[in-house]
Amino acid sequence: MTSTDRKAHNALKTCWNCPSINLAGKVDFRACGQAAEGFDKDTSAGDQLMAECKRRPGLGLFDPMAITFEECPEWLEGPYGFMLKDMRVMILGIDGYLGWTLALKLGRLGYRVSGVDNYSRRSWLAERGGHTIVPIARMTDRLHAASEVLGVNINFRAIDIYRERERLREFLDEVKPEAIIHYAECPAAPFSMIDLDHASFVQENNVLGTLGVLFMMRDILPETSLVKLGTMGEYGAPLTGRPIFEGVFPADAVLHWDDRQWSLGGEMTPRDPVSFYHVSKVQDTFNVYEACKYWWLRSYDIMQGIIYGVHTDEVSADPRLRTRLDVDEWFGTVINRFVSQAVIGYPLTVYGSGEQTRAFIALEDAMQCMVRLINSPPEPGQYGVVNQMSGYYSVMDLAKTIGRVASQEFGLRVTIQRLENPRVEADRHPFEPVFDALPDEFGFQAQHAPEDVVYEMLKLLTEPKIRARILEKKHLICPSTWWSGAKKQARRLEVLEETTYG
Amino acid sequence: MPYRLIRDMANSGVMPNTQELINEGTFRSMTSSIPEISCVSWSSIMTGENPGVHGIYGFTDLMAGGYGLRFPNFASLKAQPFWETREDRRAVILNVPSTYPARPMNGIHISGFVAPELERSIFPADVLDRINATGYRIDVDSQKGHSSISLFLEDLNETLDARIALAEALFEEEDWQTFMLVFTGTDRLGHFLWAAYEDETHPQHSDFLDHLQRVDDGVGRLVGRLESDAGVIMLSDHGFERLDHDVYVNQILEENGLLRLEPQSQAAGRPGRRGLAAITEDSVAFALDPGRIYIHAEGRFPRGCVAAGEEDRVAGDLARLFGDLRAGDGPAVRAVLRRDDIYKGPLIGAAPDLVLVGAKGVNLRGSFRLPSERADEPFTGKHSQPDAFLIVRGVGPKAIPEAPNVVDVFGISERILGGGTQP
Repeated sequence: MTSTDRKAHNALKTCWNCPSINLAGKVDFRACGQAAEGFDKDTSAGDQLMAECKRRPGLGLFDPMAITFEECPEWLEGPYGFMLKDMRVMILGIDGYLGWTLALKLGRLGYRVSGVDNYSRRSWLAERGGHTIVPIARMTDRLHAASEVLGVNINFRAIDIYRERERLREFLDEVKPEAIIHYAECPAAPFSMIDLDHASFVQENNVLGTLGVLFMMRDILPETSLVKLGTMGEYGAPLTGRPIFEGVFPADAVLHWDDRQWSLGGEMTPRDPVSFYHVSKVQDTFNVYEACKYWWLRSYDIMQGIIYGVHTDEVSADPRLRTRLDVDEWFGTVINRFVSQAVIGYPLTVYGSGEQTRAFIALEDAMQCMVRLINSPPEPGQYGVVNQMSGYYSVMDLAKTIGRVASQEFGLRVTIQRLENPRVEADRHPFEPVFDALPDEFGFQAQHAPEDVVYEMLKLLTEPKIRARILEKKHLICPSTWWSGAKKQARRLEVLEETTYG
Repeated sequence: MPYRLIRDMANSGVMPNTQELINEGTFRSMTSSIPEISCVSWSSIMTGENPGVHGIYGFTDLMAGGYGLRFPNFASLKAQPFWETREDRRAVILNVPSTYPARPMNGIHISGFVAPELERSIFPADVLDRINATGYRIDVDSQKGHSSISLFLEDLNETLDARIALAEALFEEEDWQTFMLVFTGTDRLGHFLWAAYEDETHPQHSDFLDHLQRVDDGVGRLVGRLESDAGVIMLSDHGFERLDHDVYVNQILEENGLLRLEPQSQAAGRPGRRGLAAITEDSVAFALDPGRIYIHAEGRFPRGCVAAGEEDRVAGDLARLFGDLRAGDGPAVRAVLRRDDIYKGPLIGAAPDLVLVGAKGVNLRGSFRLPSERADEPFTGKHSQPDAFLIVRGVGPKAIPEAPNVVDVFGISERILGGGTQP
């Protein structure tokens, strides 16, 4: 084995990680992440943990570590490591910004894609009087175009995962997905801070929707991997400056107190969520963690950085295949919002000092991560956490980058304004995220720098039709939702002219 | 259970119903399969074939063309069990090892161990309700034997009682020509408490006898329901004896430079495992449980290094090595058997090249784990190959070989059948 470093990231994974496996035999699982006790005993076969392949029943019962992905004819080498042939992947929240983009990408790669959505993102925007500035087609037209343009057939069903649990259960049982991608949550911090009704709605929708999915997986899909979207915002930005680890403390972390010391290795790190929405994600984290511990479910919890971008080869292949882009104060993420402001000549709205540092990842890079995670499923009982990000920047630096690209490449005149910060957050803080797992264990390499993505975005957003759609909703970009509960427009603190950053 | 134990227990009044069967029929010592483990032996009993034909060489086997470990089950059995050879005979097959997963047949089938899922251990499916209602379970929880002997004994007896109750109900209510029931608790009893049997002062000595008495009582309740001339076969799939020494075959091979394992940290993809996947390309041989030795031959194994012309010489070297091996004051091995001398049939290509039969008291182990990695194990008994037992009622002694082997049982049962019975 001299060439292991040249192999795909998942080449040496075994049936132990494969969702197409039934496990049988003595299974005595003590805690998350540990191997089953009795696994290696050979005093009699009754003590062995055995696997049975759902795809190749002729193999009979065998050692779950006997066959590697590389050796198995059901796993084929592809651009993102070995992939399970015709793998069934269900995307919860398939109508959203990420869900739709991933569906097309997976479909093009040969996965059998199914998905559910209740169109709530469209409804939330409508409730706030907004719209996606990149126009998107109705689901029936999207599905038709996917088939016609890309040859991708998606098995879609309109289901509310929280309020229509029985229908979801039926669909899961019918499709029997080998991976479930859970994007079906309300992803907006300001939306959850509008008032009690919105905070309640977000927490109920997110937490209880996910809880239902976990119980269904326990009952009908225990071998399926769950790739669940969390957020880097779950961690907050600890003022001590300690690194933001990937979910749990590393093995050599030690707590010193009162002249004594304890190992913290493997324990969950503290969370410090920054809105009621982020609290819902933290609650999900614990619910998923417990489900893995109690029921041997397998999951990756994705602590995703702030996402931005409009382009993938698939969504750009036809106007009907475009994914949504929101730039309003509730659903618009910061880069997406800045770019749209640059396009219409509206000063970029930086909150507070602008020195808040955040983790970011481009849409295309995030999609690469997701495919790699799907291809390398967690072990039974494993609750894995990855910090899915490609870099971290201060908000002000990003605003300047966008200003530079917009003025230099597109001749736009850009100013930056600092506004009162409607959020409760530190303007200046240390920030040291750890994001090694995806590159080290899953072979992820970020390919898209902010400048390049911003350039792509500007190309699309400066199209007159889209520019007109931004202008139409210009009044929704500036923040009016205050963490304090106040209802007022944030006041301007300073305006930085183009020349100061060009 | 061994011939001598049955003889003594029947004589001494612990097993009166067995004594009655012995009086009415023929009682012989019987040799078990090679190796003498349940899956191989029962497969031979139910098919009348040797592993070269039925294909079951152990609880574990190698996946074709590699080092993957598989667990053969009923679907891997390549010969027909007797209840499938004559579809006109309705049969009840209860708790026969290595018959999982159950499959359609004329009658009722409830698999014995290893049977991971109860639902797939049963044919037809509607028997499940009946099973659940009686508290029936396929196997005792052997883990209890590691933690508490009293809980283990309680579980053992409860499992037996439920098994007998279900057997009685099926015996009475079902229409059948053949009835087969296996008591598997005696094997567990032997492994954990053989010392208690041999030592009359042992605190569990009476518990050991009590369990045998319960088994005998079950035999009496079933056989008592039959006409007095109905055919009955009672047998064990292997004998038992005191365990004096564990001998780790792979460790012996390693010590003699015949087997090398990649260090754990480098065993690609299987971190922390000393196992088949870690066998290096200069290894000459390795073993699977209990004493099955495979020559690491070119062509047969991806990293095999022994050339075709060299295999005989290697087999000879291995035979000498193990022939000379000592355990305690005596030899470790009773016999080193060559594949062609013990197996015949189309599946001989999958057979181990050599099989060791342990000397009296010597327990052979094919594990890759180091003895030091094993927690203290509470086993005091081990299987023995030469002294299983066979009792046959319903045909004369001439129909039974003087020195029967487990493969002969099939033929004997065929002679009885036509109205026969076998618990």
